[in-house]
Amino acid sequence: MQFTQEHEMFRQLVRRFVQDEINPHADEWEEAGIFPAHDLFKRMGDLGLLGLTYPEAYGGQGLDFSYTVVFCEELGRADCSGVPMGITVHTDMCTPALAHFGSDDLKQQFLAPSIRGDYVGCIGVTEPDAGSDVAAIRTRAVSDGDDWIINGRKLYITNGTQADWVCLLARTSDEGGYRGMSLIIVPTKTPGFSVSRKLRKLGNHSSDTAELMLDDVRVPKANTIGPEGMGFILQMQQFQRERLVGAITSYAGMEKTVRDTIAYTQQRSTFGQPLIDNQVIHFRLCELLTEIEALKSLCYRAADQYIAGDDVTRLASMAKLKAGRLAREVADTCLQYYGGMGYMEETRISRAFRDSRLLSIGGGADEVMLGIIAKYEGILPGKKKARPATTQPAPAIEPAIEPAIEPATEPATAPVAASPRTDDAHEARAGAPA
Amino acid sequence: MNIVACIKETPSTTAEKSFGPDMRLERRKEDAIPNPFDEYTIEEALRQQEKHAGSTVTILCMGPATATDTLRKALAMGGDRAVLVSDSALAGSDAIGTARVLAAALQKIGFDLALFGSAAADAYGGVVPSATAEFLGLPLLSYASKLDLSGDSTARIQRAAEIGYNEAEAPLPALVSVVKSINEPRYPSMKGIMASKKKPLDTFSLADLGLDPSSVGGAAARERAISSEKVSTQRKGEMYQGNEGAADRVVAFLIEQKVL
Ligand SMILES: Cc1cc2nc3c(=O)[nH]c(=O)nc-3n(C[C@H](O)[C@H](O)[C@H](O)COP(=O)(O)OP(=O)(O)OC[C@H]3O[C@@H](n4cnc5c(N)ncnc54)[C@H](O)[C@@H]3O)c2cc1C
Repeated sequence: MQFTQEHEMFRQLVRRFVQDEINPHADEWEEAGIFPAHDLFKRMGDLGLLGLTYPEAYGGQGLDFSYTVVFCEELGRADCSGVPMGITVHTDMCTPALAHFGSDDLKQQFLAPSIRGDYVGCIGVTEPDAGSDVAAIRTRAVSDGDDWIINGRKLYITNGTQADWVCLLARTSDEGGYRGMSLIIVPTKTPGFSVSRKLRKLGNHSSDTAELMLDDVRVPKANTIGPEGMGFILQMQQFQRERLVGAITSYAGMEKTVRDTIAYTQQRSTFGQPLIDNQVIHFRLCELLTEIEALKSLCYRAADQYIAGDDVTRLASMAKLKAGRLAREVADTCLQYYGGMGYMEETRISRAFRDSRLLSIGGGADEVMLGIIAKYEGILPGKKKARPATTQPAPAIEPAIEPAIEPATEPATAPVAASPRTDDAHEARAGAPA
Repeated sequence: MNIVACIKETPSTTAEKSFGPDMRLERRKEDAIPNPFDEYTIEEALRQQEKHAGSTVTILCMGPATATDTLRKALAMGGDRAVLVSDSALAGSDAIGTARVLAAALQKIGFDLALFGSAAADAYGGVVPSATAEFLGLPLLSYASKLDLSGDSTARIQRAAEIGYNEAEAPLPALVSVVKSINEPRYPSMKGIMASKKKPLDTFSLADLGLDPSSVGGAAARERAISSEKVSTQRKGEMYQGNEGAADRVVAFLIEQKVL
């Protein structure tokens, strides 16, 4: 990962945006259980922050993923995790498949206004009976002429109460398993679509999380991203970026937490000396900083692989796993050194502690990551075919299957003409580190 | 209309400051940013450009050779090009030396409106705009909290004073120094950042400006820094206890501080 002066200027811009436009409102938005996404996204769109790697034809910046790395690092330093999560769901979790495989018309309709900040997007995969096991989803889209008629429920959907559209994973045929699913863009104003609940959560309070209901929702088949039936594979692809972004967003925040703790323990004394002077404490904090640096290096390697267009599944899964575990360890350890103060609502550490719990669950639980890694190592029972671990060029569509699903056979390499990295073609042109 | 925004490179306000044996601030490249007051200068130049179609904005800075980075940061906000005046003979210039150089550079660039901040966050001399105007023999409208250009001929400002504001005007070309209340500086946009690299950035030496090195720099400086001290940020508090008429004393204190 090589950062240029442009990266540095961009970093200052995002840092300032976080300081001026997010942090002053963090308490209020945490309290409210939601942040005003339309408002905030509009301002971000005006600054060109919402489509860093997406094609300029749709208002994006046509840059490579290294700018996303900087973006996530700076967002991760915000005073809460909920807002950065809401933002990155929009920029890097519900839009990649659309940007890579959506038709021009679909991109004009949904990607361009999302990059401008006029629309808020969300990603609808999880259901009441299908989380880790994505292939168990039941939401069904039935063909009716040129339309889909969709019925089902989606659960734990970030930005769900205020989104203008959902990138929805639904069954479009009866094949079962990972087959026969499609990613469909569903505008939330379509009749039959409703937000059935705004969910209350342990942490990430400033981000709204919803249960969505689809009751005979009719959308044009033209809203399908890529070919019909490719939804599962496209979503697995999209997950790689989601996981990478989740991991990157986490470590800058972790580092801030440790540094805040250093500052606190320097000025807090017990038994006649500052807390930090206890070897058990400064050693422990240095240990954590070391782990954070290691995670950061892993993320940089994964990001380099992603930029190169290589298969990033193995490293992205490792980064996400490590990030989830380390986030918990950092928050728990640091809170301990704050003592009673750390248990108080008024400290950032108590919020960081609550927020830290999500990363090991959302975007694929730790165990799901372990399953993927095991599969790549060729040690997943019943799946002995080892895949090359490192920098092989990715196939046209990454056939990374969640291990929990155990399809009878590996899906054939997808019959999609476009490369999964159409924006990376831009990246290669616009953003090879100078 | 040719608009020039004169900006200084200063250390970031949060950077650790240290002083050399000559009591001058030691400047580190990593900490350098456009003088925070000059964000308002640049913003005003950009707003005037937006109001007056066909105008160009040049960003002008006298500083070390590394100030090109700072100028790129300024260009990320907007503007068409930048000019850096840099010469080893300039080290140690006082405000008058700086003004002499800026005047020569402004003359070379050619301008209708030259904008300045009212002071730089590091030295806080606040003399450069007026001295530059003097060298050029042109009017300076100082401390502008509002600026309107009527046609291409006159600049009119509001100048905030303690109990109200004055209005003043001067024929163009003119110099205007601005205060923070004049505008709200924009963020550099992503497009601006990427475009900044491609904008022309010229460097002038003293020879380019036809200036005699002995008229500027440390040797010619008549103002000399003799000591520099950090502001102590320790706050002293006063405690008023409950049963000693604390409320009355708080009220008295607030009246004394003109809060009430
Ligand atoms: C705050 C929040 C925001 C979210 N946002 C979104 C969103 O925007 N869009 C979306 O689609 N989803 C979203 N999710 C859902 C999230 O992706 C799922 O919660 C996650 O994938 C886990 O699924 P599940 O909750 O159904 O857990 P389950 O699948 O029921 O799993 C429960 C636990 O069992 C263990 N487990 C599961 N499978 C295995 C296995 N094979 N081997 C060993 N252990 C296993 C894991 O520890 C797992 O945590 C969000 C969740 C949360 C909490």
